[in-house]
Amino acid sequence: MSESLTGTRPLLGALAKHDGSRFAPWVLIVTALSASSVLVYPWIFPDAADRAALAAAVGSNPALGLIFGPAYDLSTVDGFNSWRSLALGGFLTALGAIFLVTRATRAQEDSGQAELLASGVMGRSSRLMAASLLALGASLMLGLVVGLVTVLFGGGWEDSMLLGFTFAGTGWMFTGIASVTAQIGGDSRSANSMAVGTLGVLFLARGFLYSVEAPEWTTWVNPLGWMQETRPASGNHWWPLALAVGFSVVALAVGFYLQAQRDFGQGAIAPKPGPGRGRYTTTWRLALRQNRGPIVTWSIAFVALGFVFGFFVTSIYDLLGSDLAVQQAIAGGAVTPEGLVGAFMATILSMVGIVAAVPGVQTVVRIRTEEVNDRVEPIMATATPRWRYYASNVIVALGAPTIFVLIAGTLVAVLASSADIGVELGDGVLQAVATVPAVWTVVAFSVAVIGARPQIPVAAWIGVLLSFAITLLGPTFNLPDWALAISSFWHVPKVTLPDPEWIGLVWISLVTIVFLAVGFAGFGKRDLATTPSTPLRGPARLLAGAGE
Amino acid sequence: MVTGSAVIETEGLTKSYGTFQALKGVDLRVERGQVHGFLGPNGAGKSTTIRVLLGLLRADGGTVRLLDGDPWDDVTELHRRLAYVPGDVSLWPGMTGGEAIDLLGSLRGGLDEHRRTELIERFELDPTKRGRQYSKGNRQKVAIVAALASNVELLIMDEPTSGLDPLMESVFQDVVQEAKAEGATVLLSSHILAEAESLADKLSLIRDGRIVESGTLAELRDHTSTTIHAVLGRPLDSAAVAALGDAQVDGSRVTAQVESTRVGDAMEVLTPFGISSLTVTPPSLEHLFLRLYEPDDTDAGP
Ligand SMILES: Nc1ncnc2c1ncn2[C@@H]1O[C@H](COP(=O)(O)OP(=O)(O)OP(=O)(O)O)[C@@H](O)[C@H]1O
Ligand SMILES: [Mg+2]
Repeated sequence: MSESLTGTRPLLGALAKHDGSRFAPWVLIVTALSASSVLVYPWIFPDAADRAALAAAVGSNPALGLIFGPAYDLSTVDGFNSWRSLALGGFLTALGAIFLVTRATRAQEDSGQAELLASGVMGRSSRLMAASLLALGASLMLGLVVGLVTVLFGGGWEDSMLLGFTFAGTGWMFTGIASVTAQIGGDSRSANSMAVGTLGVLFLARGFLYSVEAPEWTTWVNPLGWMQETRPASGNHWWPLALAVGFSVVALAVGFYLQAQRDFGQGAIAPKPGPGRGRYTTTWRLALRQNRGPIVTWSIAFVALGFVFGFFVTSIYDLLGSDLAVQQAIAGGAVTPEGLVGAFMATILSMVGIVAAVPGVQTVVRIRTEEVNDRVEPIMATATPRWRYYASNVIVALGAPTIFVLIAGTLVAVLASSADIGVELGDGVLQAVATVPAVWTVVAFSVAVIGARPQIPVAAWIGVLLSFAITLLGPTFNLPDWALAISSFWHVPKVTLPDPEWIGLVWISLVTIVFLAVGFAGFGKRDLATTPSTPLRGPARLLAGAGE
Repeated sequence: MVTGSAVIETEGLTKSYGTFQALKGVDLRVERGQVHGFLGPNGAGKSTTIRVLLGLLRADGGTVRLLDGDPWDDVTELHRRLAYVPGDVSLWPGMTGGEAIDLLGSLRGGLDEHRRTELIERFELDPTKRGRQYSKGNRQKVAIVAALASNVELLIMDEPTSGLDPLMESVFQDVVQEAKAEGATVLLSSHILAEAESLADKLSLIRDGRIVESGTLAELRDHTSTTIHAVLGRPLDSAAVAALGDAQVDGSRVTAQVESTRVGDAMEVLTPFGISSLTVTPPSLEHLFLRLYEPDDTDAGP
């Protein structure tokens, strides 16, 4: 065993130096998430009445519980922070850990870097070991930073540290899961998808089962449920962290076992020979072909999402009925049950829309990945105009999310209309259709970034991040309208209202057109990314050729 | 050399990556129907020049004409008439080589079925493997077959044979000769001197972003020196040594470097001293190139 780990230490050093910085944004975001809660809470909710109102607002929108999980105690700073940060922060830490592991293992193999390393004095398992240690260390560091910074901003000592370590625990578990998927996937992309898919399913299952008040054992079959049970600021249980450590040790053991079984650069699933002739004759077909796998996977995900959300809508009265403040508001005539249901549907479909924008942006970012991997160059050397190549991919990037929203939206509408809660099938579908232009705006933003300023591809995700933050966090923070209006989803009319404001869709569509124009103009005008030649190749070749 | 028959013509072409100037004024002229070798040390700017010619990069300054069009503005039109082989072929991961060949062919406007089959056979390429499963040389073959399977006027190749084995290298040379015989023009960047020697009608040498030498191989040879070793009947006098220019005298032995065009003159100087043994070594190809690649030795020619 020790021999197969030779070289882990220098490799870990090199990895930390080159890839470690990629984890910094995750530390930053999660720290900001937690620290900002502590910072703003006393300011936005100064007295007991405000805090009670917050609790009522959270209680009346079960959609929030789906993302944030249970709100055990919103009357203290730390309770509020642990509600607002725990699930999301863990999710983000896990994402960071997954990307780190995959990058240091499969992505390196795909790019040929790993081959250089593997040919050096390097044990068989040292690359996976170095990658795992890096991700474990990075998660732990994230936990410490989050805890300490939160304390610094006024969080309670034990509450904040436990919250931080809960994030670290989530990062550890997904380091283990990523070490397994990195062995199974055929390449880095599928390894990442598998791990992120697992995370998404577990995350959604956790929120859903909590929100519908499923029996308690369901918490314990889901590793993310364990993390929920640390309950920072309302119980402070440390022992679930031991479960997280145990889980990651077991998962890592499986990862190392699988790694010993597989060949370098190949996944556990070996590809078969393919057709000798091609059917892809246009860039449009190429774009479809390249996104085929993700489109199928995401379609399945959205069918699942549609069922979960649809079921969720049907139980709205149960969900709302248990909340006293909401009952009073309805009784007092401040809100109508139909109004609540309509607003709730709109929120749910906005969430569907935001999630649907993710595969759209992925498709756009992929254009850049293809470009830097020299796969756009041969196409541009044929009689293909640049705009056509870009358009083929952009159509997929806008079209696929449209289908996803309609799939999930129709399912939600069908389930909701079958459940006697005053929602018509048509209303639900119409609400889904009305959400689509907002998704397009978010995707179009990434089209502008990749077309005009592709040097920082992460900027393509800003649209998704902003819509997510504003749509979900904005209302609880009493943000002013102009701030809420930054998110395209804010402009989606609520079709069940007597007089929906359709004009909003016109505005965001104009913005979409501007983004698209910027993106296409940029892609048509700029230099394509080129790889400078490797300096070592030439001299050897020169001498070899000169020998004649 | 008739003006107007140039397929590629650049004058004072410049291109920078950020603050780094990769091309500092490239004057390149490729005549129709010729194979033009494009040589130079690593990082000299060959690939950059080629990418400007392909409209992948936009020139900062100078003029570029390609097939009587502008490579940036007339992209589609020009690209129907040319094919490109990159030096680093990156294939689509899940896609087979056959599919890649067909995709690139149809995007160019169709390929010659007969040619395709023939080339796959001659290069012994298995078109059913998927992107990642190809070895380096086989990836390269996919790109070569894709380019040569369409009948185009102009072939632009950037180190097309890097990674090919000697057998395939010779197949490649045959195929390029055939393309030329059918009237195609070829711009061939290469580090393999033997390949350039056997294929190229003309050569351009680029160094540090500038073309430093251009012409047929014979013309380039004329600019370099020939080595003469002689054993003489009696020692050279000082006037004769001066006449030879660069000469080392060791008793009756003389070693001199003279320009290739002036070997006759050197003989006239040496003959009166009674030559008992003589070897004249023309510049070897590698010597020629090593000298031209040498960074500090800028002046070439008389
Ligand atoms: N994308 C890029 N960004 C920055 N510099 C670059 C880029 N591409 C090339 N260069 C630089 O421009 C110069 C010319 O590069 P180029 O690739 O044209 O050389 P080359 O002649 O093709 O070399 P080789 O024989 O190694 O293939 C090099 O110094 C290289 O480092
Ligand atoms: Mg090059």
